[in-house]
Amino acid sequence: MRIYLRELKANLKSLLIYTGVVAFFVVVGFSKFSAYAENPEILEVLDSMPAALLESFNMNAFNLTTVEGFFGVMFAFVALILGIAAVMWGSDIISKEERDKTVEFALTLPVKRSTLITGKTAAAFTHCVLLALATWGLNAANAAAYDPEPGFYRFLFQGMAALLVLQVIFLAVGILIGSAMKQHKRAGSVAISVLLGTYFFSVIAGLREEWEFLTYFTPFAYFDPALILHESRVESVYLWISAGVVLVSLAGAYLAYARRDLYI
Amino acid sequence: MNIFLHELKSYLKSVGIWSLANFLIILVYFSAFNTIALEAVQLEEMLSSFPQELLIAFGMNDMNFSSVLGFFGVVFLFCQICLAIQASNYGFSLVSIEERELTADFLLPKPISRGKILTAKLLAAFLALTITNLAVWASSFLVINLNRDGRTYDVQTLVLILSTIVIFQLFFLSAGVVISLLMRRVRSVIPLSMALAFGMYILNVFGTMVGEDKLEIISPFRHFDPNTILANGAYDLPLVMISVAVIVVAIPASYILYGKRNITAAV
Repeated sequence: MRIYLRELKANLKSLLIYTGVVAFFVVVGFSKFSAYAENPEILEVLDSMPAALLESFNMNAFNLTTVEGFFGVMFAFVALILGIAAVMWGSDIISKEERDKTVEFALTLPVKRSTLITGKTAAAFTHCVLLALATWGLNAANAAAYDPEPGFYRFLFQGMAALLVLQVIFLAVGILIGSAMKQHKRAGSVAISVLLGTYFFSVIAGLREEWEFLTYFTPFAYFDPALILHESRVESVYLWISAGVVLVSLAGAYLAYARRDLYI
Repeated sequence: MNIFLHELKSYLKSVGIWSLANFLIILVYFSAFNTIALEAVQLEEMLSSFPQELLIAFGMNDMNFSSVLGFFGVVFLFCQICLAIQASNYGFSLVSIEERELTADFLLPKPISRGKILTAKLLAAFLALTITNLAVWASSFLVINLNRDGRTYDVQTLVLILSTIVIFQLFFLSAGVVISLLMRRVRSVIPLSMALAFGMYILNVFGTMVGEDKLEIISPFRHFDPNTILANGAYDLPLVMISVAVIVVAIPASYILYGKRNITAAV
């Protein structure tokens, strides 16, 4: 419990910074959206198009004149920011003890190594939840000015729930990297490479049909905002993969850290 | 000279990894060009019959995957992200590493001025970045010529796009150095370089996707946007000057800040 509280406090500054970054993007984003919202020119064109055509567009793209469509476009960027936060927190919370040479102190305390990991994981998870809640609140507050339909708040809630799962995946992977890397200095770089690699996968997977299998390897592609918006669901196979990745990573982290040869 | 050589040696492995990463990105993504180009022609034909407003409303107004350089622009953006992270990594750790690893105690008593130390370190980092830069040039020409399958492209425009890398790297390097010197203590480099590089990236992608120019004009990703260069066949000079101005201010500022810096010592 003490470890949990200690880590909550130690990581607070980082949480505030990431919240600030999200707030900044949301505010800038909505200020741009104001040019599109109910834009008469665009609406006129949309009205004159055959309904069937719009239908086919709407399934894979977003109508930027509505708040829902706009959030659908923002979704990918918010996912990227929250993903970075989670993977950095995960790897840093473990590896910082060795970097700051506090590991001697932490591990001579009368707690098991696994207790240490549990406390740290719980603290980082709490921060992920707080960041997701802050993102949710910021989006809802900014959207309120545009009088969105009730459907928007449902979409926003489901979208944020999906992003929380994404954060948990990256957090678990980050903790695994922090625990299992032999050299603590490498943990951060490896965490970035994983994030970059999966992000590139998600961008490229949509370009070519044969590459669709790549979506299984990148959490950024697990939660398709279009599917959440139009059918309010996510593909269940991705949820199973998410659960699997999180469980395996955490189990791996406990095993690896219990046997870890510490750098002192 | 000793510092320069020592620094350069410490960059070797990292330069190798980043160059390889850039090469693989170009190779893997560009090798898909042929199949995508065929599909893209049909898609673009279909899209071109729609009114522009509709495409803007759905955020599909600048798709240009059927030409060699149009597709290369997308791939190049990935390289830019990697180059930005690499350059900011080098920038943030350039002088902060000595304090973090307590080697400043060893380095600073040497009979050499802080200005000279900084010069040697900056030159070594710049040379390391330039090697990566050359690797991107070589990989681009190699991969494009292997995969273009008879399609032509404008070599001059490609040279224009690739020439932006130098300033792009210097922006992140010098910004990293000056920010690290403004901070009292740099505990770890990666979160900072991630924030700088990805922050600028997201700012730009988001900015070009919707609405008019706002804050994204501070982002080098915007200054050196390959699609703009492609469309105009030239740089957007006022924007490029923003990058140059940042470099011109940041480097002298680093010398001043480092000269006056209160260095944390081991004891």
